Amino acid sequence: MSRRIIFLSLVLCLFVVWGIPITKAIAVEPVLLGVPTSLGFLEGKEGLACVNMAVDEINKSGGVKVGATKRPFKVVAIDARGAEPGVPVADVIRAHKKLILEDKVNFIMFGSFRSECAIACMDLVGQHKVPMILGTAMSPAMEKRVKTDYDKYKYTFRVCLNAVYLIKYLGGTMAHLNKEFGFNKVFIMNQDVAWARKTGDLMIKLVFDKMGWEVVGRQAYPTGSSDFSSGLMKAKAGGAHVILPIFDMPQSGILVKQWKSMHVPALVAGFISPLAGPAAWKSFDKKIDGAMNCIFEIGNVPCTKVPKSVEFYDKYKKKYGKPIEAGHSPAPAYEMVYILKEAIERAGTIDSDKVVAELEKTDRSGAMGRIKFNDGHQVVYGQDPNETALGCMIQWRKGKRVVVYPKSVAEGKIELPAGLKSLK
Amino acid sequence: MLLGTLIYGFINSSILALIALGFNLTFGISGVANFAYGAIYIFSGFMTWIFLNSLGLPYVLCVIVSILFSAVLGLLTYYLIILRIKGIAISEVMATFGLGLAIMELFRYFNFVGFRYTLPVFYDGSIAIGDVYVDLQRIFIALIAVGLTLFLYLFTHHTKTGLAFRSIAQDERTALTFGIDSDRIGALSMAFGAGLAAVAAIVILPLGTIAVEGGYEVLINALAVCIVGGLGSTVGILVASVLIGFAQTFTANYLEPHWMMLVSLIAIAIVLVIKPSGLFSHQKELEERI
Repeated sequence: MSRRIIFLSLVLCLFVVWGIPITKAIAVEPVLLGVPTSLGFLEGKEGLACVNMAVDEINKSGGVKVGATKRPFKVVAIDARGAEPGVPVADVIRAHKKLILEDKVNFIMFGSFRSECAIACMDLVGQHKVPMILGTAMSPAMEKRVKTDYDKYKYTFRVCLNAVYLIKYLGGTMAHLNKEFGFNKVFIMNQDVAWARKTGDLMIKLVFDKMGWEVVGRQAYPTGSSDFSSGLMKAKAGGAHVILPIFDMPQSGILVKQWKSMHVPALVAGFISPLAGPAAWKSFDKKIDGAMNCIFEIGNVPCTKVPKSVEFYDKYKKKYGKPIEAGHSPAPAYEMVYILKEAIERAGTIDSDKVVAELEKTDRSGAMGRIKFNDGHQVVYGQDPNETALGCMIQWRKGKRVVVYPKSVAEGKIELPAGLKSLK
Repeated sequence: MLLGTLIYGFINSSILALIALGFNLTFGISGVANFAYGAIYIFSGFMTWIFLNSLGLPYVLCVIVSILFSAVLGLLTYYLIILRIKGIAISEVMATFGLGLAIMELFRYFNFVGFRYTLPVFYDGSIAIGDVYVDLQRIFIALIAVGLTLFLYLFTHHTKTGLAFRSIAQDERTALTFGIDSDRIGALSMAFGAGLAAVAAIVILPLGTIAVEGGYEVLINALAVCIVGGLGSTVGILVASVLIGFAQTFTANYLEPHWMMLVSLIAIAIVLVIKPSGLFSHQKELEERI
């Protein structure tokens, strides 16, 4: 009897000792998504929330099918603070290194915000062969790198709008204003940072000079400025029909408030990040009526002519109890998880080279319209949501954001503010 | 254009004066350079926002409670931190700067980030002066800056506490022989300075948004005005505010706004070379003569 007990105990011990690793081996390992973000910025917070939302949805439906097994996604997030101008690029790279070397993530999603950080991280992900799908950073230099040294940089993809497409949307809006109202005088006000300066330069060179517009003046404001009266007075004195603002600092909403209170008879049409979300109406004392603002990707604003953008926008609101406020990044952050899921399923593996090859073949209809990558691994943006992804221009009207450009998705026509009359 | 420059130059000067008054008052009396000043400015802005939007209190009550909270924060800073290191200037600077960082980063940690943090204007609308439109909040700023300066003058010349403030500022040892408690006055000066930072925040922040980074900017502006005017001199603060305020506005209007940030730095550099104690300060005059 006692021998039998001893034998059974031994068997039990062996089972326990061997059983643990066996159980571990049998359990399905998650596919790790490293998400470097910038939680001090709205785009960073909402971008991460969107990645989490997509991951939750996919995991709820069983996970991503890798060959014959379904594996869940697991998010490993880190606040790399790449959006903050004072944070050194080296710190952002260190955050990416931690994800790759310590957390051993399989893919990097969303990204490093500032283009200089993203460009520096391209080398890192190339070295470790970890595919990186970006939802931030707008420099076209990244695509150039992919094209010129494909083998090294092929691991980087970008889903959000880049600077070239931003120019196209702003230029298209100016052409539309010229055609509809005969406007041809513009005053440019931009933040004194690299991307905004460059956007202003390119708008002059590629849009206004070519279209024969008169640039009556231009002013650059340092980050943190809270008085825009000098530019507005000059715009008024110069008889500008349009004021083109290019800002992404929280204080830039003041510009529109001052534009209203100083009775400047010109249309504000450009990009002011705080004007993108629905909370702007209350935040800026209802003084933004008539202002036009670029939304970098649809889905960040519901566009009734693209039902999936409305579906995504409503899902976010339901899940988090508040609407999307950022005009840049949330929709790409959500879509990139599905883009990756589909690529892994097509590849049947998480091997980076095979997944990269499948990512290149992406053709998906989502919240931003139709998503396809060009040969620089940049999602193509255009005018028709059935053909390409889409950004848009909205106009604030009595607390509502009305999509007014491009024509294919416009929900209404541009209305001129008081004091400004059509020249046609 | 010139009229607009003059009007907005005056408003800019008023903003700078409002920002610097509290910092200068604390230093002038207790000798403490309160580097948590910008953080207290942001603290009062966020407190007002919380009372208004999360607790739903009436705006006037929010303003009063927020100013009181800031004053109490100043008082506690003196008794819990400054008192232990009083007289060691470098420790005072490091302690207050550290406290300021902690306060501001705490707000960032609790997600007080984004442009939804705004305060309402006192009265909506704008008026035309000639052909220049100015919103009423900016007019209020100018009026309150003038009113607050007058109040401080009357307070320090005609009240018992105000006179005690001045006596400590003039000669602490002599004041002690008259039975004036220098620690109590020092703590009160911190509370007053913090309260003035709160007033400035509540008046100025409705123009824009409450951002954590704004605290650093306020501290730099307050320092610039105080260095140029002379630490501890109220007249100096007013003159420096006018000089820097108008110089900034003229620079923005006739050169480029991005040169504005250089104006205060150039002013500091010039003053430090010509008269290191500032235009109206007497604190280091003897040393300078030697």
